[in-house]
Amino acid sequence: MQWMTLFQKELLENWRNKKWVWVPLVIILLSVMDPLTTYYLPQIIDSVGGMPEGAVFEIPELAPTEVILMSLSQLSSLGILVIVLILMGTIAGERKSGVSELVLVKPVSYMNYITAKWVSYLLLVWVSLFLGLLVSWYYINILFGTLTFGEFLTVFFFYGMWLTLVVSLTIFYNTVFKSGGLVAFFTILTIMLMSIITQIFQHILDWSPNNLSSYILESLTSGEISSDLLATAAVTLGLSLILLLLASQIFKRKEMAV
Amino acid sequence: MVNINWALIAPILIIQVILLLVAIVDLVKVKETNGPKWLWALIIVLISIIGPVLYFIFGRRSR
Amino acid sequence: MTLLTVEKLTKKYGSKTVVDHISFDFGHHKCIALIGPNGAGKTTTLRSLAGLLKPTEGTIQIEAQGKNQDIRKYIGYLPQYPAFHTWMTGREFLVYSGKLAKLTKGEATKRATKLLKEVGISEEAQDERISRYSGGMKQRLGIAQAIIHKPKLLILDEPVASLDPIGRREILVLMEKLKQEMTILFSTHILNDAEEVSDELLLLNHGKLIESGSLIDLRKKYQTTVIELQVEDEIQLYQEKVVAIDGVSNAKVERDTLLITATDMKKAREGILTLATKEKWQITTFSINKASLEDMFMRVVNE
Repeated sequence: MQWMTLFQKELLENWRNKKWVWVPLVIILLSVMDPLTTYYLPQIIDSVGGMPEGAVFEIPELAPTEVILMSLSQLSSLGILVIVLILMGTIAGERKSGVSELVLVKPVSYMNYITAKWVSYLLLVWVSLFLGLLVSWYYINILFGTLTFGEFLTVFFFYGMWLTLVVSLTIFYNTVFKSGGLVAFFTILTIMLMSIITQIFQHILDWSPNNLSSYILESLTSGEISSDLLATAAVTLGLSLILLLLASQIFKRKEMAV
Repeated sequence: MVNINWALIAPILIIQVILLLVAIVDLVKVKETNGPKWLWALIIVLISIIGPVLYFIFGRRSR
Repeated sequence: MTLLTVEKLTKKYGSKTVVDHISFDFGHHKCIALIGPNGAGKTTTLRSLAGLLKPTEGTIQIEAQGKNQDIRKYIGYLPQYPAFHTWMTGREFLVYSGKLAKLTKGEATKRATKLLKEVGISEEAQDERISRYSGGMKQRLGIAQAIIHKPKLLILDEPVASLDPIGRREILVLMEKLKQEMTILFSTHILNDAEEVSDELLLLNHGKLIESGSLIDLRKKYQTTVIELQVEDEIQLYQEKVVAIDGVSNAKVERDTLLITATDMKKAREGILTLATKEKWQITTFSINKASLEDMFMRVVNE
């Protein structure tokens, strides 16, 4: 009941500030940008003056699975930046302005407050991701060849796990810092560190969330969902839940809005 | 001539236009922005995709 | 019956003690003013009571239905500078606050409609975005959200400090009305506001509770009467004579005036007047003034 009140408030807020309009649109654009520019690369090179005399430019034949991975890599950079930026003030901003004082002086459970935000932003991110990948999938089928709907769903579901972790991480830092800028900085820093650590300790960190994309590609080529992918997804989800729990603990302990 | 299938590209261009319009309409309706309104109008119109995104994230007064 | 009992409430930030072992209690349907100069620790005290700060030491007990209950249910709180979700309308924010305080949607909507009228937010403004509200309207909305769930204790932090005289008047009248339904604890640095509506005073300075009690008792306690005497010639000449009069405890010269305090006012007055008549003093002023709580407040604060 109270949770629904908090959740509805988040939905209404993100509707009124147009996030429910522009975030899906931007994610769609990011998803299709690489597949389209890759396809039209020869024409684009021609239009800017063509290749220099004698140079040969071979466009490698790309498999549809490789192209959808291009969408993911675009989402992993700019997409994540957008997600972190829209989330950086969700709690920190309310604490800074002081609205959280009026909310938390009511008998509101801290867990409800945080999970309502978490679910509402996950919904926004997952819906945007679905639409983005759907449009990308459509173009890939026209321009590059067949990618089955099942394969599309695999990409959507497992990549969604990665974005879930990003959302959780940003919410976690929201309870640590009061400044949105710091929240964004530390979230991005953490993601970068995770990727570096994963690369250095490749041999031990088999199931690091940063490996999700490569396992997704592996599963698409082999045609079956590997146990590595499932385990990594589980680790990712587990980490997200732990972060959420930590966030509500920190929030409870920390004196509100001081 | 560059051989591009415009029917294929059209939806993408339309999405860009919608994004731009939503940002402009919001800019006109909103009472105050961080920084001058006319500057945001220029940013939204001149920088495709990124302009509206910048406006929504940094231009709108949060609360 | 006591509503709130505070014992040895202490709040430290590092080595700095902002609130220092304060204890007090009060009952139902009272209006209590927490008064003190800026930086006395008023806001910290109120925020601790509202549950927004954890006391370093001490206990806060509110008479509640059962143990392990969220005391926030019985408390309404308005900070000095309230912030709202300004993208909501006033009505939406009230319903939202009500639902957070565990009212059903129906109850919250009903209460919101009633309160919007009661605190005086105009019909057209009720469904306007809060971003368009003036400071006074926000203050009203702030009070409305604090009482939407009918709390037993309403805590207001400097409720009238930022308002113009008319707005101030209206809020004080509203508080007078609300007193029928709940206990109000409010902070102020202006004694006049406290005197106008409160039954009891808590005087805070440097984090310590200096004085507390009912307004009537405090007035009596600090009421000292002073006789002001002015004459046509040098006032210093009269000082010794006056001090010698029975009943007079002290007389001091302040510019052209003799300020006389007495242990027995009746005797002192008679003695002075008798002597004056006998010696034919050329009195220009003879007045009896009562020192107010304001003087006491100023004295305490200026120490």
